[in-house]
Amino acid sequence: MLGKRPEGSDRLSGQQQASVPIVQNKDERAVFDEVFLPHMAEAYRLAQWLTGNAYDAEDVVQDAALRAFRGIKSFGAVNARAWSLTIVRNTAYSWLVKNRPKAVVFTDDLSAAEQQELEHEGPHGTRIETPEEIALFKADAEDVERALAKLPAQFREVIVLREINQLNYRDIAEITNVPIGTVMSRLSRGRQLLVALLGDRE
Amino acid sequence: MIASIKENDELQMNAYCDGELDPPSAIEFERRLADDESLKARYNRLLSLRRAVRSLPQYELPPGLQARIQSALNADGPGQTNLPGPVVRLGQAGRPRQRSWSFQALAAAAVFGAVISSSVMLTIERYNLHEDVAREVVAGHIRSLLAPQPFDIASSDRHTVKPWFTSRLPESPQVPDLAAQGFVLVGGRVDVVGHDPVATIVYKHAKHTVSLTTLPPGQSVSDQAIAGYNVRSWSDAEFTYIAVSDLPSADLASFERAFSAGSPAPETK
Repeated sequence: MLGKRPEGSDRLSGQQQASVPIVQNKDERAVFDEVFLPHMAEAYRLAQWLTGNAYDAEDVVQDAALRAFRGIKSFGAVNARAWSLTIVRNTAYSWLVKNRPKAVVFTDDLSAAEQQELEHEGPHGTRIETPEEIALFKADAEDVERALAKLPAQFREVIVLREINQLNYRDIAEITNVPIGTVMSRLSRGRQLLVALLGDRE
Repeated sequence: MIASIKENDELQMNAYCDGELDPPSAIEFERRLADDESLKARYNRLLSLRRAVRSLPQYELPPGLQARIQSALNADGPGQTNLPGPVVRLGQAGRPRQRSWSFQALAAAAVFGAVISSSVMLTIERYNLHEDVAREVVAGHIRSLLAPQPFDIASSDRHTVKPWFTSRLPESPQVPDLAAQGFVLVGGRVDVVGHDPVATIVYKHAKHTVSLTTLPPGQSVSDQAIAGYNVRSWSDAEFTYIAVSDLPSADLASFERAFSAGSPAPETK
């Protein structure tokens, strides 16, 4: 019965969640349900942004849930949300490294051109923008989504954790396993990069 | 040099935008923002970028994923450490956006609402009273954060804090040390709620302060957010506890568990 999920029938099985009896590990299971399950929607959102598509995100969330369940004893009764998202984030990266090594662009060293771009406040080089021009920055959702997807992973993840998951710096630092100062500079640079990328499209 | 000042500006602006500047720096930044047109323009751009990112369509949890995870876990007995096979995928591309649970949630909410609404009118007055209590407790927490230190007695030793309360208050709570659970005892203070002095135990979790105010038992204060602080309340035979912190409510829930588990059994007198 368990694990028997013929292709295509999962749409139906989705409706009968919670009807599956919990047969073992009752205590650990209860902790898992309390700690990880409430953050599933967020976990999925994060996974989708990190992997770049819905299918991979499902794999990652399922994998992460299993890891979380097996590691539930290591949950320190502190921050369930950060703990859960940390596992999702790490699972996403190991999944990417394994399945699409080319997709993981992890570098603090931007190309010389990007660096140049950043330091000169966008692709317009030395042109001085008037306050109105800067303030009127706008872009449609597709452009923003594409630009965000294009960011190197370490910038994308902090922006997603901040803006989509709306976490504070402390939690982002915990999840990405870097000091808060690094979170701050990555956020700042990531946002500048986004602005530059969005400015680029014309 | 100029570059690094500019870099600092950028960081400050981002931190301000994210609500992560400490109050004095935030006030200073606001002053600069008012004076500096170009800073203001950059800040506005940052805001519109944020708006754009936040208004991106949210990916919805695919229906069925949770059920699949549940059954994968059920299959994941002790000794079975193999990862599950590839996930069975939805037959559709792009973003599944059905909200299969919203109906269940709606139904549950409706039932819940019907159940409580009958008693709401009766309790609304008492409720208001209790919300005042919650507000007073939060005010005590805020006041303590503005003071040089959030406690009157500083000690991580519960054998110091507990007698300190005992000598000042008719009823004093147990003061468990929860450092092992991530909540470090830092001290205690006396708050005044209504007209009564009450014991407040202060814990630190990372950089966050948790105030745990103890009231006479039998009060029900709803879990809520007041002025940006999360409030969580529970009771035992001796006290009604109100925990206040800027920690997420899930962390406060962990705190409650830790505190309830860590409270030694009441001494028999």
